[in-house]
Amino acid sequence: MTNSADRLSGALFLLFGLALYFAVIPAYVEIAEDGNIAPNTMPNILAWIIALSGACLVVKPTKIDAISFGQFSRMAAFVFVLAIGIYAMGWFGYMIVAPVLSLVIMAMIGERRWVWIAAGAVGVPALIWLLVTQVLDRSMI
Amino acid sequence: MVDLSIILAGFGDAFSVYNLLFVVFGVLLGQFVGAIPGIGPIMAMAIAIPFTFTLDPLPAIAFLIGVNKGGLVGGAIPAVLMNTPGTPDAAATALDGHPLAKQGKPLKATKMALFSSITGDTFSDIVLITVSAPLAILALRMGPVEVTALMVFAFAVLTGLIGKSIAKGVIAAALGLLFASIGSDPENYTPRLIFGVWDLYDGLPLASVAIGALAISEILRRLADAKGTVTSAIKLPEGGDPADQRVSWAEYWSCRYVMLRGAFTGTILGALPGIGSTAAAFMSYAFTKAASKEPESFGKGNIKGIAAAESANSSVVGANLIPLLTLGIPGSVGAALIISAFMIHGMQPGPLLFENQGRLVYGLFGAMIMANFVNLWIGQVGLRFWVKVMAAPESIIFASALLMCIVGVSMASGGLFGVAIMMIFAVIGYLMSAYGYSIVIMIIAFFLGPRLEISIAQSLALMNGDLTRVINYPVALALLAMSVVAVVYFLRSNRGGDSAESE
Repeated sequence: MTNSADRLSGALFLLFGLALYFAVIPAYVEIAEDGNIAPNTMPNILAWIIALSGACLVVKPTKIDAISFGQFSRMAAFVFVLAIGIYAMGWFGYMIVAPVLSLVIMAMIGERRWVWIAAGAVGVPALIWLLVTQVLDRSMI
Repeated sequence: MVDLSIILAGFGDAFSVYNLLFVVFGVLLGQFVGAIPGIGPIMAMAIAIPFTFTLDPLPAIAFLIGVNKGGLVGGAIPAVLMNTPGTPDAAATALDGHPLAKQGKPLKATKMALFSSITGDTFSDIVLITVSAPLAILALRMGPVEVTALMVFAFAVLTGLIGKSIAKGVIAAALGLLFASIGSDPENYTPRLIFGVWDLYDGLPLASVAIGALAISEILRRLADAKGTVTSAIKLPEGGDPADQRVSWAEYWSCRYVMLRGAFTGTILGALPGIGSTAAAFMSYAFTKAASKEPESFGKGNIKGIAAAESANSSVVGANLIPLLTLGIPGSVGAALIISAFMIHGMQPGPLLFENQGRLVYGLFGAMIMANFVNLWIGQVGLRFWVKVMAAPESIIFASALLMCIVGVSMASGGLFGVAIMMIFAVIGYLMSAYGYSIVIMIIAFFLGPRLEISIAQSLALMNGDLTRVINYPVALALLAMSVVAVVYFLRSNRGGDSAESE
């Protein structure tokens, strides 16, 4: 248990809030003259709340178990694979990409039993396709 | 007032074998789909509505009601077994349901969820049938100032979920509101924080945000912890004490006040458009935790935590129909789908519905009563099957859940853009969870955000920008006073809990 994780996240939120208020909101919120609340009022208030709360967290952190570099790396690897899979679905379609994506994810988890691999990489994508396109008559991705 | 003969004729129409079959099929589909993380009853209803076009109105609506009710029971199953809520409503159920399942009592946890869900649902249906019109009139009299005060009260109650760090709770709520402000400004419709991506003009899709932050982030956490070893998504105990696999009458009866409070909370919130079952579940959970003599046992497998969440979220379903049937105002996404189905089948929800189509309305009430019994019956039999499905290796469960989330969100949001948003929120959810920020507070704030902003704008217009004029709105004043009391009460409770913990 350490309080450095809270200090780190608090500092990031402090910077995020300040960046929102001084850079992002002025650039990406259009100003309108009419109305009771200006379009930037709510985001500006929220930016200050985030920045001030982040500062409070830096000053008065709580003790939490921070995630390890290994856990973060494994999560990032799965996100990377999923992102590539989703991008590929846009190009090649669900029927080609889904079995490969499922196979890769199962292999990354550590599955080596061919029956389960076959079920996950062939059976499940086929069942989803059958349900969506044949039973429900909806188009796939 | 509707004539008694019309009421009896309506119930007579409903209680037929033909309608019962559609209710059974709807509940079965709802429970199955609700048990699959990332799909949920809303998706199932959206997909199912076109298939009811060829049916008569009553069986069609009975089927959809079955899907909706079954989905709420099914949604609790992955929440309890995998800590991956099938629906956002079930996230509160996971707080105690999953720890209880990890203690080797998955069937006790899921059965308690089933029983409390049916109890809450039946309570709200009785309220709907008996007092729907007066309650809806009360809700109709709430103007923007009262609605704003109600939103403030909802946020005040959220402080009960903040935990150890107030700053983290505030950041989570502010992030939710910030994400809700992406899209168009509700008064002038000017683009706001869309960064030139016009797909964002209508705002971030709720399905993408909720499923990404709640379901995918949890799957990512489990995958990151897997370290190349394949285990079951949930380890079911072999043999063991049979008492751990069932809910005794004494256990059920000990939760009667918790379920009553949950059902009452859900019914009140369900009758008020915009709040929804997720907020009801967490409010009921926070109330129960605050009222408990053992608040430290919540989050560690307390059966009353499950009862509080499930009775509240299920009671919203019936109560949602109060403003829908009498005013034509849907109180949630599910109710909005039901209203569209009603209109397809020739029902025009509104004040004249009871007068013009009273027989059909009471037929619908009959179908709802049937759906409750069927939900209990199929749940009793089906839970064992769903639990076994979830006991498969996590390699296939998580790979399947990821594929279904991708397909489901793609269908709900109309393409891969929504899936990309889902992945972004999966990472945000993972990091928030890893650093101790409440995802649930963020999601509720995201859901309430647009309505809060428009209510504030309307209130300011009504009061000519003079906030002191709120004294002319006694209901709003009462709600604001209750908000102050709730904040003080929950913050003191949190502090008390922390000091007890540290001791």
